[in-house]
Order: sequence, then structure tokens, then C-alpha cells
Amino acid sequence: MAKEDLLKPARRQFALSGLALGAATLLPAGAAAQTPAPAQASGPIVLQGVSPRLTVHALDTFHGAPATGLRIDFSRLDGERYKLIRTVTANANGRSDDPLLIGESYQAGDYELLLHVDDYFASKQAKLPTPPFLSKLPVRIRVVNVAERIHLPIQFGPWSYTYSRGS
Amino acid sequence: MTGITTHVLDITTGRPLSGLQVELYDVATDPPALLNKTRTNPDGRTDAPILPAASARTGQFELRFHVGEHFKVSDGLSDVVPVRFAIFDATQHYHVPMLCSPWYFSTYRGS
Repeated sequence: MAKEDLLKPARRQFALSGLALGAATLLPAGAAAQTPAPAQASGPIVLQGVSPRLTVHALDTFHGAPATGLRIDFSRLDGERYKLIRTVTANANGRSDDPLLIGESYQAGDYELLLHVDDYFASKQAKLPTPPFLSKLPVRIRVVNVAERIHLPIQFGPWSYTYSRGS
Repeated sequence: MTGITTHVLDITTGRPLSGLQVELYDVATDPPALLNKTRTNPDGRTDAPILPAASARTGQFELRFHVGEHFKVSDGLSDVVPVRFAIFDATQHYHVPMLCSPWYFSTYRGS
């Protein structure tokens, strides 16, 4: 799938309402997109109106940043077992480069996203117990109506996580 | 106190979620071994710790919350919600609550 497809949705413009916003917001859009930090280097991505698909957005609440580099094993329940579809790595925005499922691949079923939060926080040199409270974090969701898009935001830290149906 | 306890709250009503089936597995083995299976009481807790103090030990555990059969909505986001975590110090108490709606699930190490 073309990456342009993801970028099509209109991006909300920042409201420039104060000096607190750094110089990054004054750079041309292309330059800002190449800036690795701060966390919110690009504006929110609006998915309203796009075709049915499953998308994920992983945010690290410990650092207040997108979970860039987080490994996610994406599987589908096949009988009694979850069978790996593919492994994705969260990009600079905390998302997978392409939707997890789209078009023909967006089928009803039970799916699992296995988040490698242990490796992620180890790479950030977070000081945690061994083994950490959360290691390989399974998020299991059910796709019922493939006419409707599902966006899955996941917020996680070393000691907590939340996921929900987003938009 | 040691062992594992849980507490399930329904954020759509602001009330404890009672009658929910909750299981505890040891996930160090494949397949995971069922250690306990119970239901939440009117306070959203289990009557006894889901892993009693006498059984406290280090290891990899998983709570499973059977939310689908409780909420009974056709488009619920999850059917059974697993929470996989480690006990790294058996002398500590692990309270692992679940705050939920059919489309929202949140857990954390509580106290």
C-alpha cells in the first residue's frame, strides 16, 4: 500500500497561540517532519473519512513521546493459536508505516498485538526491576464490522497501559 | 500482604463490575497453566486474593478478564482481556486493577 494513502487525511494546523511553541513550528513542513524530536513534531493525523482499516498508535507515557522503535508482533487467532501476520516497528510518530489491515486484508476476526515493551524500555535505559512488571504486552481485539475503521491508540508505561477504540 | 489481587470497575457506570469471570494463569509454561478461576463480587473484587499469600512466588502471570460475555455488545473492542505481568519480588503485594468499558481497557500496578 502506498504511503501517500496514510498521509492523505487533512492534518490539523497547529494553533499558534503563544511563544511557548518552539521554532520548529516556524520551519517549512518538510523540515519539521525530519526533526526527530520533540515528541509532537508533526500535527495530529486525522483519519476521518478514510477507507476501512485497522491502525495503531503507540504512545510512551513514561517519556511523553511516541513509542518510536517499539516492536509489535501482529497476529490473528487461527483455531486455538495466534498466528503471526507480520512484525511492525512503530515509526517516528508511534504508528506503523502502513495500516495493520486494509482493503482485502481487513477481515473480521480476533487479533493480537504483542508489544515488546521490555525491549523498548531497555533501549531507553529505564531503570526497572528484573524481570520488569510488563514484558511482552498482549493487546487482543476483535474486528466485527469491516465496514467500519478501527483506530487503536495504546498508551503504556512500565507499570500501566490503556487501550481503547479511537478515531 | 503478598500475592495477587484485582479490582474491576466499569467506567460507563462508575460502579464496581460484579459477576465478571476472571482467571489467573501461570504463563511461564506453554500452554499456560490455569491457577485460579473466579468471579468478581458486588465490590468488583474477588472474595479471596486470586493468588493467595500462601502461594506467592516470582514468575510470569496473566489475568484474563472475560468482558465480552459481560458487556454483551456486538461491536465490543475485546472479548477476553489478558494482562500479563511479572512478580519480580514475592514479598510484595501485586494489586492489578482493570478499569473498563466495552471499548476501553486500562490497567496498572496498584496498591
